[in-house]
Amino acid sequence: MGIGPGGSVLVLAQRRAGGGLCRSSGALLTLARRLGAPVGVLCGPPEGDAASLGRYGAATVYTVADSRRHPTGVAVEALAVLARRLAPAAILIAAGREGQEVAARVAVRLDSGIVTDAVDIRPGPDGPVAVQCVLDRSYRVESSVVRGVPVFTVATRSVAAREAPVDPVVRRLAVRPAAGVREVRRIAPVGAPAPRRPDLATAAVVVAGGRGVGSRDSFRLVDQVAEALGGAVGGSHTATQLGWCSPEAQVDVVGRVVHPRLYLALGISGSVRHRAGMRAAATIVAIDRDPAAPIFAVADLGVVGDLHEVVPELLAEIRRRRTTDGVNGTFGGAA
Amino acid sequence: MIVRLVLGLTITAVAFALAGRRVWMLYRLGRTAQPVEPGRTRDVPARAWAVLTEVFGQRKLLRWSLPGAAHFAVFWGFVILGATIVEGFGALFQRDFHIPLIGTDAWLGFLEDLFIVAVLVGLAVFAALRLLQNPARTGRRSRFFGSHLGAAWLVLFMIFNVMWTLLLYRGAQVNTGNFPFPHGAFASHAVARLLRPAGRTAGDVLETVGILGSLGVVLAFLVLVVYSKHLHIFLAPFNVALARRPRALGPLLPVYSGGNPVDFEDPTEDDKIGRGAIEDFTWKGMLDFATCTECGRCQSQCPAWNTEKPLSPKLLIMNLRDHALAKAPYLLAANDEVRETLPDDVRAEAQRPLVGAVEAGGVIDPDVLWSCVTCGACVEQCPVDIEHVDHIVDMRRYQVLIESQFPKEAHTMLRNLERAGDPWGRGAAARTEWMAGLPFEVPVLAGGERLPEDVEYLFWVGCAGALDDNAKRTSRAVAELLHEAGVRYMVLGGAETCTGDPARRLGQELLFQELAAQNVKTLDDAGARKIVVTCAHCFNALGNEYPQLGGVYEVVHHTQLLARLVGEGRLTPVHEVDAAVTYHDPCYLGRHNRVFSPPREVLGGVPGLRLTEMPRNRETSFCCGAGGARMWMEESIGTRINETRTDEALATGAEVVAAACPYCIVMLTDGVSTRKQQGRAAEQVRVADISDLLLRSVRGPGDGAAGAASTVDKPIVD
Amino acid sequence: MERRLGVRVVVLVKHVPCAAGAPGHAGFAADLRLDRAGRPGQLNEADEFAVDQALRVALRRRDVQITAVTMGPVRAVEALRRALVLGADQAVHLLDDRLRGCDALATSRVLAAAVTRLGFDLVLCGTASADSGMSVVPAMVAERLGVPVLCDADALTVRESTVEIHRDDGAGPEALAADLPAVVSVTGRCGEPRYPRLAATLEARYRPVRTWTLGDLGIDPAEVGRERSATVVRTVTPRRDGGTRVLVDGDPTSVAIRLADFLAERQFL
Repeated sequence: MGIGPGGSVLVLAQRRAGGGLCRSSGALLTLARRLGAPVGVLCGPPEGDAASLGRYGAATVYTVADSRRHPTGVAVEALAVLARRLAPAAILIAAGREGQEVAARVAVRLDSGIVTDAVDIRPGPDGPVAVQCVLDRSYRVESSVVRGVPVFTVATRSVAAREAPVDPVVRRLAVRPAAGVREVRRIAPVGAPAPRRPDLATAAVVVAGGRGVGSRDSFRLVDQVAEALGGAVGGSHTATQLGWCSPEAQVDVVGRVVHPRLYLALGISGSVRHRAGMRAAATIVAIDRDPAAPIFAVADLGVVGDLHEVVPELLAEIRRRRTTDGVNGTFGGAA
Repeated sequence: MIVRLVLGLTITAVAFALAGRRVWMLYRLGRTAQPVEPGRTRDVPARAWAVLTEVFGQRKLLRWSLPGAAHFAVFWGFVILGATIVEGFGALFQRDFHIPLIGTDAWLGFLEDLFIVAVLVGLAVFAALRLLQNPARTGRRSRFFGSHLGAAWLVLFMIFNVMWTLLLYRGAQVNTGNFPFPHGAFASHAVARLLRPAGRTAGDVLETVGILGSLGVVLAFLVLVVYSKHLHIFLAPFNVALARRPRALGPLLPVYSGGNPVDFEDPTEDDKIGRGAIEDFTWKGMLDFATCTECGRCQSQCPAWNTEKPLSPKLLIMNLRDHALAKAPYLLAANDEVRETLPDDVRAEAQRPLVGAVEAGGVIDPDVLWSCVTCGACVEQCPVDIEHVDHIVDMRRYQVLIESQFPKEAHTMLRNLERAGDPWGRGAAARTEWMAGLPFEVPVLAGGERLPEDVEYLFWVGCAGALDDNAKRTSRAVAELLHEAGVRYMVLGGAETCTGDPARRLGQELLFQELAAQNVKTLDDAGARKIVVTCAHCFNALGNEYPQLGGVYEVVHHTQLLARLVGEGRLTPVHEVDAAVTYHDPCYLGRHNRVFSPPREVLGGVPGLRLTEMPRNRETSFCCGAGGARMWMEESIGTRINETRTDEALATGAEVVAAACPYCIVMLTDGVSTRKQQGRAAEQVRVADISDLLLRSVRGPGDGAAGAASTVDKPIVD
Repeated sequence: MERRLGVRVVVLVKHVPCAAGAPGHAGFAADLRLDRAGRPGQLNEADEFAVDQALRVALRRRDVQITAVTMGPVRAVEALRRALVLGADQAVHLLDDRLRGCDALATSRVLAAAVTRLGFDLVLCGTASADSGMSVVPAMVAERLGVPVLCDADALTVRESTVEIHRDDGAGPEALAADLPAVVSVTGRCGEPRYPRLAATLEARYRPVRTWTLGDLGIDPAEVGRERSATVVRTVTPRRDGGTRVLVDGDPTSVAIRLADFLAERQFL
């Protein structure tokens, strides 16, 4: 039972590990403006971030004290309280592991329908309509929520963030989790650097090199990218056979089967035996010289080019972004 | 006379008692083994013919000309000289005994003497060979590496003793006038001439000494035989008679326990799956181990052994034999109390796991077991028809199903087969990708339909043919050729699932049965009668193994069909393909199924191709390394089998390495790529299927109508 | 008479259509149900990892009982059979025609009721399912049960009365803990499931599978099912361009920037 345009829309803003707000928050606010009056919800010490939310149209911003010891408890509590208080048209949360969890729990609290990984949301006659791409992105589905306050998690990378500056009213919200509720707690500091290169089986990021790398010396490039992304190094069957990487790094039907969030294939054509080792990867990026290489049929992003030229440029770009990020602080760059 | 009779009969009795006791123990040991699977006595005519040609004709031995000829001589020597044993025993009773009717004929005397000489020559050849190929000098390259050399020399020595004592006796007999053959026995007479100067009395003594010595040596040899590998002289004819016919190649047998097939739907508690202990083998298996002559011909051909892996088929069989003999007291003990009283080393032997690492006291090391590519070169060579591959797979079955101990890379292949029906896990819907880009529509049988009457062939594409980028070319080429020739065919598309060959070779018999049953149902529902395949493993599974599950089809390999079409003029290879080519016989097409000529006929029909055979071709072809489910395991010991074979192919000077199986194509392509990367192969060398070359010749070069078959010439190698 | 067992692990599993198919092979019903081509259906791949993790807990302690639970039509029992082969001791099939078309809210409600009825110390799930991407069900179930949820675990350690996980989504590693009872969802990075022995495969045929209906769970049918779905699909359109597979070429610098953008958008930088 949403309220039509003009009603409020709750947006859960997120902070980046290094400080400042995520780009996704700007994108969410942009979407929220289509549906109603954006209300930002920010967990943790406010500082200058509330004003930043105003840049993207949040007229009201609620800040909630959050020690971040418990990753999602405070956000869930805050959204539930505000939803009951404001009866918004929708609740927008950035898709991702934490967002998914918060959204799910809020949906249960409010007995509300939920649509995840939306790529777009537009207003509709009966409430907001969310667009998803399902089944390996081969179908486009439009859905809406018919019970409760619609909860949406949004894959904001396809949403452009557009400014609409206002001067937000900042309110403090106090939430107290119910007595006896046991929460998840962190047992290591967030953003602590990985102790050493992760193991192939457990790595969230895997960078692998194949025949296209050309030599053991050039395999350095693979190592460098893995280091830059905090990932593990892998190799194709040929790379292992030729001794460019260790046998334990072989990603192949006869080697290791990996399940990373990101798989970066450098100079790998994508033979069926190699694909058997990495088909479970959530996101696949490939760089190869041959536009007809089978790897491009499974890559989410395919780069046709010489990896010996592209990779050094990529490493330089990554370095550049990492140094400028700290300087800029807010919505700069793409992070 | 009395003395020689008494002495003679006494030593005979003692020898027979000793030998008999041993034989009785061996018989009882065989009884502790499992009953044999049915079919071992079926088709008597074929078995009789096998005994005739292999035992009496020494067919398999003669494949190696020199040792074969020498062994032929020694074998026939033993047979013919049986007459002299009769004569010898007769002479214990009657001094001038001769065999009735023919016992004085010159030809018999000549024959006996001829073979005495032939045996001596044979022994000289054997000795020379053993010295030339002494493993102390040549190491692993010698086929005798690992054989019990001391015992072998002893046997040669004893045979020598048999011969010279026989000659001594016969020579002495000539001089005492008791020799049965006045004419013909040239060697005996020659020896007699040498002995004559000793005089008459000495001659009598020599005769008695000679006969007792001769008989004594023969009897001592008898005892030696039953205690050594030389037992093969008695066992080989039985082993050959009871061997799998036509040969222990091609299909693997289903799992049997106690002589009955194991029903995996509802196995009983006592069902033995595979071989987990030495007594789990059937008595035929025990017979195999006991018959081994340690000749090492199997070892010399084994691709694993030849690439520095620890597997030698000979050593495997010898280890099983030695373990069985060492454990025999334990197995033959009447009850556990008796077992308690056995010596420590016997009880320790009984504790040894059949398959296990050296540290754990394993009889067969896991690296040995899993290195096998089931190419069957060992079975092909073995002169006494030992069934090495069957024993290896049976041991694998136990390891996989009961212990769940097998190379963990194979988990991936098995899980993919279970979840997606193909070893790479791509799934049914991907099986139609290979058809893209062909200039015509490949006819796909819709689900639930039967093949129309006028469709002659079901084209079974197979997993590699549908999903492997390099093997897809073969499927496309075959589709184009069949289309060109006007052959009516259809494919099953996503309804195909893996034939189960890799699961079966690995030892996962349950999964094989499930996959095979599913395919039999699909094929029967489709009404398939004639099936054409491009993969040698599918060929073997569909044609030879599916009948075990009730699926009987006429399965033809694409090279056979293409050869026939060319022969009938329905395909005309007119365009020249100017290349030096060599042909690699796939193990599962050639050795296992005896299809050697059709691929060569096709190559011969293509103008411009110049075929040079590799040294190891046809029955002695050297495996590409992918069989025995090794395609799905990493090769981490020794050198690579596929690279070894690639080097052999490159050495012929060929620019095109032709093959007829996708596994071979994958392995050889890999090998050629590696060699190119290492600068050891020219850039223009490529690997191609027979159909690929034929298509080029039929269509012509660079013809767009050839579709995707001619566009991407370079293989996909990561 | 029920013996109070040490650690009760419940694994929530799902029966999904078989291995990935090419576009065009799946058909849609109005409620987003998929057509099943090829082999009928099987245990969701991610759930195999969950069952295996439960088995690993059981192998370290002697008093663990593992129950696999699924909500689905008649065929879904195949997923339970597979879970039993992989290590579950018993299984429960939540089978009721009126459950057809349940959304995530209703599904989590039904699963939570089943888990409550079973009694639990730890609930395990796979993180994603083949046919619907990252799942919200684990967090929802935890919320309904009033216990902590640890999502997307790459490594899992169960201690006396707490559970610890490590996870890394590409943006950096985290270590979290919670007191039992709790819900944990595991990714494929937690380790390949062990290959079952023949004995396990055969023996699993005799392990008990109970069937529960809505009545057994004490849930009013009017509160679940398609009619009660909180979300409604308005349209389904196939995409001609096969999705957002992007092929980029050009000079290395601009290509590198596009690459970096891509990675940054997805939080990998």
